[in-house]
Amino acid sequence: MKLGLLALLGVAALIGGVAIGAVALPPGEVIAALLHPGAPDSAIVWSLRVPRALLAFAVGGTLGVSGAALQALVRNPLAEPYLLGISGGAGLAAVVAIAMGLASAWLLPALAFGGALVASAAVYRLSLVGGQRLEPRTLVLAGVVVAFFCGAIMSALLTQTDAPRLRNAFLWLLGGFGGASWPALGAFLLYAVAPLLVLFATASSLDLLSLGDETAHALGARVERTKRIVYFTTALLTAASVAVSGMIGFVGLITPHAIRGWLGSIHRRLLPAVFLASGTLLVAADALARTVVRPAELPVGAVTALIGVPVFAWLLRRSLA
Amino acid sequence: MLEARDVTIRYPETERAAVEGVSLRVEPGHLVAVVGPNGSGKTTLLRALQGAVPLDAGAALLEGRPIAEWPDRERARWLGVVAQREEYPFVWRADEIVMFGRYPWLGSLTPPGPRDREVVRTAMARCDVGGFASRRIDTLSGGEWQRVRVARALAQEPRLLILDEPTTALDLGHEMELFELIATLVRDGLGAVVVTHHLNLAARFADRMLLLDQGREAARGTPREVLQPERVGRVFGWPVAITETPEGAPQVTPLRRPG
Amino acid sequence: MARTRLLLAAALALAACASPPSRSGPILLVDDAGDTTALAGPAARIVSLAPATTELLFALGAGDRVVGRTRYCDYPAEALAVPSVGDGIAPSVEAIVARAPDLVVAYRSGGNQAAVDGLRALGIPTIQLATDLLDDLDRAALTLGRALGDSARASALVRAMTDSLAAATVRVPEPPTVFILSWDQPPITLGAGSFLSQLLDRAGARNLFADQPQPSFPVSLEAVASRDPDLILVTDEQEPAWASRPEWQVVPAAREKRFVRVIGSEFNRPSPRAARAVRELRRAIERAR
Repeated sequence: MKLGLLALLGVAALIGGVAIGAVALPPGEVIAALLHPGAPDSAIVWSLRVPRALLAFAVGGTLGVSGAALQALVRNPLAEPYLLGISGGAGLAAVVAIAMGLASAWLLPALAFGGALVASAAVYRLSLVGGQRLEPRTLVLAGVVVAFFCGAIMSALLTQTDAPRLRNAFLWLLGGFGGASWPALGAFLLYAVAPLLVLFATASSLDLLSLGDETAHALGARVERTKRIVYFTTALLTAASVAVSGMIGFVGLITPHAIRGWLGSIHRRLLPAVFLASGTLLVAADALARTVVRPAELPVGAVTALIGVPVFAWLLRRSLA
Repeated sequence: MLEARDVTIRYPETERAAVEGVSLRVEPGHLVAVVGPNGSGKTTLLRALQGAVPLDAGAALLEGRPIAEWPDRERARWLGVVAQREEYPFVWRADEIVMFGRYPWLGSLTPPGPRDREVVRTAMARCDVGGFASRRIDTLSGGEWQRVRVARALAQEPRLLILDEPTTALDLGHEMELFELIATLVRDGLGAVVVTHHLNLAARFADRMLLLDQGREAARGTPREVLQPERVGRVFGWPVAITETPEGAPQVTPLRRPG
Repeated sequence: MARTRLLLAAALALAACASPPSRSGPILLVDDAGDTTALAGPAARIVSLAPATTELLFALGAGDRVVGRTRYCDYPAEALAVPSVGDGIAPSVEAIVARAPDLVVAYRSGGNQAAVDGLRALGIPTIQLATDLLDDLDRAALTLGRALGDSARASALVRAMTDSLAAATVRVPEPPTVFILSWDQPPITLGAGSFLSQLLDRAGARNLFADQPQPSFPVSLEAVASRDPDLILVTDEQEPAWASRPEWQVVPAAREKRFVRVIGSEFNRPSPRAARAVRELRRAIERAR
């Protein structure tokens, strides 16, 4: 029921994302452009709006699911996808690339992806207790430490690099779907689909992990193995998201949190709902980001926060009442 | 049958073994109490019985097979555990918590079916928590919460039950209620190991008792055999007197310091 | 506005001519922040914290009085012989003080206020000049002229710059539209409030986003596609790699590689070389069409 409602909202958001844009096209023309690839505006609709809306949905859903899974892994409802040092690693790699003049359109996402994975591997290594157990509290701390370390190198580089270039690096990091295209969507799905399926299949173990190691073990969960799976799939998913769209905050924290309040925390039900809701939120936020100040664009992360915070505040008040 | 044979466990960088050469046996229909002062190795022994900690010597066997060799889900169908403490980051309903007990029986992609729901209903009814199946766990009292967790262990349909300090923070009434519940379950064929600080409750409900002192066995046997005044006084470092309840169970009373 | 400024410039020039340059006594400078700074006499040791003011100082024949520059001050070539004090935004006060200047010319920016306050607290006369647009040039030249005690030369430079710019300026009946791409990830373009947009105006072209007042902003590809620019202006030496990315194919000018490429610092800051920049841009536009 509730899942159906979310799916409906998702479809509505996608339709809205295709219908509106920096250029005001009447609905009739959008439909014509969708149906007839030769129509005057079909390039705008087919090559820009459709892949952009779909990519925003996929990235939003992925960030949401990663956030929800990490919250279960570290047993903290305030966990979010960038916890694993990913933001630091991706940001550092991007800034290094831009500072060294390597920031070609293809190389920058690839380097950011690599940086994110290296940083999350470092966090993983740091948080292994006694060489084998993954301890959530250590994990959170290691993530913070690695992020700070990357931040320190970034600030050092900042003083050594051309200012306008760095501004551009930070704009890229702020995130957005300006570079969306069919190949970008294809590349993202190539990386994201398998890890997402793995996470959905681990949903029941996420329930048990949330109960703590001892109880999870008692209820038959393969605790350390599950933790490792969750860690690496979320790292891969988040790195792929950063590579195609920079760092879009907030979705991965707030949507899982809000849906938990609404649907409860049985992850088998939660994850699909979070995927739909996060995708919807990001498509809506992106539609606003490219229309509010058109022809200029706002950073989509700022818009997610602008929409998300009031919704979240309302949910919070309702759950307290 | 769950059994510890001469188990020794040494935590890294500690002088004394947490548990040394301790043996214990639980069979269906029996309630075994493990007692002893703080830090005597009670919880470590329970962890060994669950296969949650590597052994330095000895063996922990479930149905004759080393517990560590059991596949996790299969073990969880034999052995239910109620840990000392659980703190949750998220809020669930009481029946959702109990349904977690069905996970060892479910595939990772199969949702619970009618039989699972039936088992959950029965387990909750037996623990007298059926009335608040849909209550959020953060609205439960301490006693209700403990009974929900016991219900979850029952939903595992285990042959054996391990309970670590199940009545800490419970008042007198709830304490008795919980021990009566465990006793009923044992009468119905379950085997149970209970770790507890409450010597007197253990003495009234347990068939057999293991008294630990600094990781070693101080005594093993029926409560009447184990609870000798000078032994209890030595192990706990405080003089005690032993009396008897109307039904004949030994009761420990710590003495006041003279003067 | 421009007229008032011209009149003001003329009046200042007249006032400067009225007094002989050798006259001793304090010089009062009003900078672009509205602050008044007093110099004991003509500045002899100047640290210039913006490439544009460094160029102006050399053009005013005061290159030998420049004792410090930023690492971005690369024109004229002689400027490279001047010791660098590092960055021009949030500069190092210590490095500046070490050059023992009697005047610091800072770039006017929010990020510089702390350094300016610090220098003034140390008793070093410091002025802030905006050097973002063509219109800033004359005012900066006149202020620097006063500081050098040679307002006549500054007026002459302003006249020369004005004349050469006027001569270089082209007006065509149907100017081609040019999309300025300043960065491709995300696409960032320059609006009317940018130097390059002003150069385009004078080179007989029109900035595709001349209706946007801000200096620069991230722009929707969709808007670029629908405005369909005649040309795309890039300031990079390489063949733009982004143009082959799939999402850019909706912009015909990118697909057909109709690029205007200009290289050189005269295109990213106002300077006495602006007229040359306009002519070069004009030639590049004609080549591209």
